[in-house]
Amino acid sequence: MEVDAATQPTTLTAEQIGNADLLIGLLADLSKEDLGCLRDSLKALPGSPRVVVLQSGAAASAPPSPTLDPWEHSSPVVMLPWSPTADGAAPTAIETFANAYQSIFAVGTKLDVKACCVVASKIENPTPGWVCRLVQPLLAGDFDLVAPCYERRRFEGLLNNSIVGPLTRSLYGKRIQNPMGPDFGLSRKLFEEVVGAEEDHAAGNGLGLIARLAPVASRETFRVCQTYLGSRIYPPVDWTNASALLTDILGPIFLSMEKNAPKWQQLRGSALITTLNEQESRAQSPNPAPAIDVARLINTFQLGMRDLQEIWRLVLPPATLFELHHVSPQKFRIPDELWVRIIYDFALAHRLRTINRVHLLRSLTPLYLGWVASYALETEGADSAGLNRRLERLSIAYEAGKPYLISRWRWPDRFNP
Amino acid sequence: MWKQVEDALNQSTTNFITNSVRYLPGIVALILAIVISLVVAWIAGAILRRLLASLEFDAWLVRSGMSPAVEWSPGHSPTLLVSGAVSAAIVIFGLLIGIAAFDSELSSELIRGFFSYVPNIIGAILVLLVGTIAARFLGRSVLIGAVNLNLDYARFLSAGVKMLVNVLAVAMALEDLKIAVGIVELAFGILFGGIVFSLALAVALGSKDLVTRSLEREVKKSTSDPIEEPLRHL
Repeated sequence: MEVDAATQPTTLTAEQIGNADLLIGLLADLSKEDLGCLRDSLKALPGSPRVVVLQSGAAASAPPSPTLDPWEHSSPVVMLPWSPTADGAAPTAIETFANAYQSIFAVGTKLDVKACCVVASKIENPTPGWVCRLVQPLLAGDFDLVAPCYERRRFEGLLNNSIVGPLTRSLYGKRIQNPMGPDFGLSRKLFEEVVGAEEDHAAGNGLGLIARLAPVASRETFRVCQTYLGSRIYPPVDWTNASALLTDILGPIFLSMEKNAPKWQQLRGSALITTLNEQESRAQSPNPAPAIDVARLINTFQLGMRDLQEIWRLVLPPATLFELHHVSPQKFRIPDELWVRIIYDFALAHRLRTINRVHLLRSLTPLYLGWVASYALETEGADSAGLNRRLERLSIAYEAGKPYLISRWRWPDRFNP
Repeated sequence: MWKQVEDALNQSTTNFITNSVRYLPGIVALILAIVISLVVAWIAGAILRRLLASLEFDAWLVRSGMSPAVEWSPGHSPTLLVSGAVSAAIVIFGLLIGIAAFDSELSSELIRGFFSYVPNIIGAILVLLVGTIAARFLGRSVLIGAVNLNLDYARFLSAGVKMLVNVLAVAMALEDLKIAVGIVELAFGILFGGIVFSLALAVALGSKDLVTRSLEREVKKSTSDPIEEPLRHL
């Protein structure tokens, strides 16, 4: 059997394992206590499914178990060390992340599992067995995709809150809070469909696989839910490196948008999806938000307004540029309708290749930082409910702006306000 | 004496008329060739324009990732560029045919010389074309990167990079055309070195803090878990 380098250490053991019911890939470096809790909670799953846990991080360097039959102690849970990167390769963080997903899905297919689960986050004060929340709806056969829900905090997951989440909701009609996870539970049917989708796998940075999840899962043949996992621990944000992030994340999303254009053009509005364990989200109080240098963000926005006109003129219609010019530095606000039109116009320019795609996405950075500054000023002192209301308003603006996107998409030359 | 002067004048006039008459068919042929080539060039250009427009050549180039060629073209239309180039080639060809009609040794040598020089001209045009596209691409990369790094002199940096690449391309094109090779080399060395030196000074003096921050970030990055990087904003 031909195996690729990324999956080789696991594949050798996978042949000894035979079949399993569930595969869990741990990208987050969990502590021994957390791993112990996870093992116990997996053992307590109804029906005692055979579970294989692939463990990356510090434990990945440990040698695999020498036993020939990992199920010999009649334990339904097997923990295996695993490295998502190929030996000798020095991929970027994005490539490592994307490889990990591909690798987990490949191993899942080889083990003939019923469902896969990827855990990439650490949760603050996790409840025992929080990982099982991603798994149980799959094993019960109720759902094909279990997306995560986290406690919303002011400056966390901003790219998701400002673009990825509301754009996906507006396009595909399902209100998934975190369409790009990163923690997911997927049924076999869904991950096989996503991996086998007739799209250009070589294009982009590999995150296309994750970007395709929400569009594919939104089809009528799949059932989607989301489950509350708790307060996610986010790594500190590096504001000076936002352009690389925008390119890496939005590139695959815009590509997926292009491929699914016939589908999303027929959809209007959005539907709620089942949210499990929602009652717990109200029990926790959000921590104070980290300090953010709004003046610096506004300065980058204004620098962009001064120096990037020659690029933005090729992408944005005159009316949008006019509105951007009239954003006052004193009372700095970027209205939702304007922001939505900007994102839709960038998506269109990405499709039309108006300019080089990397240049295009990088040139969005000052506008994104401007939106963050505007959002920071608007949500000063807002509580969790206030944040949710603010982000819901933005999502509604995305839905309201969809006819604009469709018109521009269909007639980019004729419809240019 | 007047008789001798009159004879000399008559002789000169006769020579002038004889020579003029000898060249007249050649001149007429040259004019005819130019007129015909102009008409053919106009017709060929119009047909090519229509053909490329019906094939949506401009849109195809954009889809194929050749958007710099679109931006560089006159009126942002590569169709116009291609049809114009074909028309110009036909006119030049007609001109050469017209010159050949003189059937003199000089015209043959001229044509031979011209044709042996054509590869240099094509090479120089290609170098200029690639240089212009590269200058625009690199200038834009630098501009966006510098704005995202919050540098006030982003446009200056971008213009500097564009100028560097353009100067390099022009020097290479002149070298290819064998025009004042020594002077071009010397001037290029001075100009290129000057631009690099001024850019280096500007960046070094203006971005001390930025470079320090960047280096610090790199050191920190190597100790942190790389897989967390893409998750920061998601």
